[in-house]
Amino acid sequence: MWKIGKVAQREFLDTVKTRTFLIGLLLIPVLIVGIILLSKKMAQSEGGPRPAIRVGLTSPAGELLSRITGAFADYNKANPQTPLTLQLLSEGQDGTASEQRGKEQLRQGKLEAYIVLDGDLESGKGSLLFYSYKSKASQIDALWTVERILRDAVIDRRYQARGIDPAMLAEIRNVPIRRVELGDEQGRERVQSEGQRVARMMVPFAFMYLVFIGIVGMGQHMISSIIEEKNSRIVEMLLSAISPFQLMAGKILGLAGVGLTVMALWGAAAYGTASWQGIKIDIGPDLLAYGLAYYILGFVLFSAILAGVGSICNTVKETQSLMMPITLVFVIPLVVWPQLARDPNGDLARILSYVPLTTPMLMVLRLSSGPDIWWGEVVISFLVLIAGVLVSFWLAAKIFRTGILLYGKRPGPREVLRWLREK
Amino acid sequence: MAHAIELREIRKSFGPVRAVDGLSLAVPQGAVYGFLGPNGAGKTTTLRMIMDIIRPDGGEIRLFGKPASSFARGRVGYMPEERGLYRKMTAAAVLRYFGSLKGLSGSQLAQCVPAWLERIDLAAHAGKKVEELSRGMHQKLQFAATVINDPELVILDEPFSGLDPVNQDLLREIITTMRDQGRTVLFSTHGMHEAEELCDFIVLINQGRVVVDGTLDQIRSRHESHTIAIEIEGDGAFVGTLPQVAAIRPDGRRLDVTLREGADPQELLRILVDRSRVRAFEVKHPSLHEIFVRLVGGGHVEDR
Repeated sequence: MWKIGKVAQREFLDTVKTRTFLIGLLLIPVLIVGIILLSKKMAQSEGGPRPAIRVGLTSPAGELLSRITGAFADYNKANPQTPLTLQLLSEGQDGTASEQRGKEQLRQGKLEAYIVLDGDLESGKGSLLFYSYKSKASQIDALWTVERILRDAVIDRRYQARGIDPAMLAEIRNVPIRRVELGDEQGRERVQSEGQRVARMMVPFAFMYLVFIGIVGMGQHMISSIIEEKNSRIVEMLLSAISPFQLMAGKILGLAGVGLTVMALWGAAAYGTASWQGIKIDIGPDLLAYGLAYYILGFVLFSAILAGVGSICNTVKETQSLMMPITLVFVIPLVVWPQLARDPNGDLARILSYVPLTTPMLMVLRLSSGPDIWWGEVVISFLVLIAGVLVSFWLAAKIFRTGILLYGKRPGPREVLRWLREK
Repeated sequence: MAHAIELREIRKSFGPVRAVDGLSLAVPQGAVYGFLGPNGAGKTTTLRMIMDIIRPDGGEIRLFGKPASSFARGRVGYMPEERGLYRKMTAAAVLRYFGSLKGLSGSQLAQCVPAWLERIDLAAHAGKKVEELSRGMHQKLQFAATVINDPELVILDEPFSGLDPVNQDLLREIITTMRDQGRTVLFSTHGMHEAEELCDFIVLINQGRVVVDGTLDQIRSRHESHTIAIEIEGDGAFVGTLPQVAAIRPDGRRLDVTLREGADPQELLRILVDRSRVRAFEVKHPSLHEIFVRLVGGGHVEDR
């Protein structure tokens, strides 16, 4: 047993001490936090100065036009950093139609948008023609603002024409909603922010993603470690001191340790950032315990397969092409996630829960989605997973034992089958 | 006293290839045993089976009277033919790792790791990574890793290949010291010179079977030479016409005489004394090299 520990310890340190691993380990949380902060900063800096957006307008004179010019003036007063300039375009002196001139100026880059009020908007007919030409991404926000100002002006004018008091209407439409999440005990209610609601949806995904990274990402290390030992012929030295089972178990244990470290660090980074931003995430100790159990079993299953495959290959590349179909199975839950999030106890989620490879990801997702999962499913999923682990471990141990000592040409499927039949 | 290694009729096939075919061998404790054979004779497979790295299809393997599978690991030092160590680990760390896998405690390691580095002339390179060391250094380091826990039985697969003469001497000296301390050493080699110089016993295998087994003297006496070097006065041309002689070859002032199968050297001497004055008459001892070539010559099996 202590030999397994020794192997695990070396495997852990060897993986953790490589520079690429450390960079990846630290870089990703830094990146996540950085992106969150940056996007927040960007959102705040919307008030930063930018060149004026020039808007051309052709409109029949009247009450509506004066309302529009008024609304633009109000906007510019309120947002002096992001001005909008409004130019009225009428028929040219040389007789060109005003629309013609507007489009021309838009194409020449003298305007960012050109608007034509067409028909009798006040009475609810007609339309608002909004021309743009090769809009830059940075201007899209401002163009939306322009659209909103125009709409509001039209609506306001319609209220007025029909004798409706806008203030009264606002009063009628105002239904305040306060979202409150009940705690387990009395008096633990708290108001939910919008971020909280998003987090509620993202936590199961984050959990599932962590398990994915922990299994598939660590699998890469498993492969390279096996291939290194095989290629540099260390394996025979090792096998004279320890059994293939001890070697395999030690490797799996060591890399599972690395995986847990990574998951703990990233999870903590995400949790820390979230609570720093005022988002509380509910993770009970039972969820963590389940997550741990599912992760370990899932990793053992995957790495047993990897050990079997890795032992018959000579290069990492060879292994990857063989592993492709299996890795794809892991990606399925990530791809169909929206469906799973909508219905965490639906048929799709159920089916994927009983495919041993995806069981850990699915069950973690479902358990963290809500409490309404039948306990029997948890038991069955564990049984399925354990059965998968036993079968794959048994097969892998047989292949590993012979394959790891075989150099040169990769054995064909028939040869591998023969090993499996050997006692 | 139980034999250090006892193989009874062990067999192993890889698909259609019979790598080891009913091989029996008994290695007494405290002996240095040479394991010879052409490429592909089944040496490495046999050694791997002794180490329980692969399992025989049939037969029995006992180490010190116990089944190999329960005994081999950790108590037998095995250096495989394929050389390899973790490239990113330092020389000292490699020895510590293998020492700890073989059950040495922290304090034992602190003592024997520097001692072994000293002994194999690598003390100055203790902190260097394995990938920075030369091939010969690798091999010495691997040897030290094999014997770091001072095992009762040491099995070495081609320990001398790839070493320069100075390091070969160093290794020879270490093996001799081990024998003096009562350890049993079994090593395979292609170097007949090493085998003659070091081994108490020699076994020669070919195509998975034992061809010759015994002490060097036993083997030599069983393979009497057919070659006799003579020096006689006068013209020796008549020697070639004698019925006992198959061929002659002049070698300086001497003649190398090859006898016919079954001819007695004593009879040749009598005839020579009758017909001439004999200055020198030497029945040549067959070298291990000759015996090897004679026994497996022609039947070379290439590496798979």
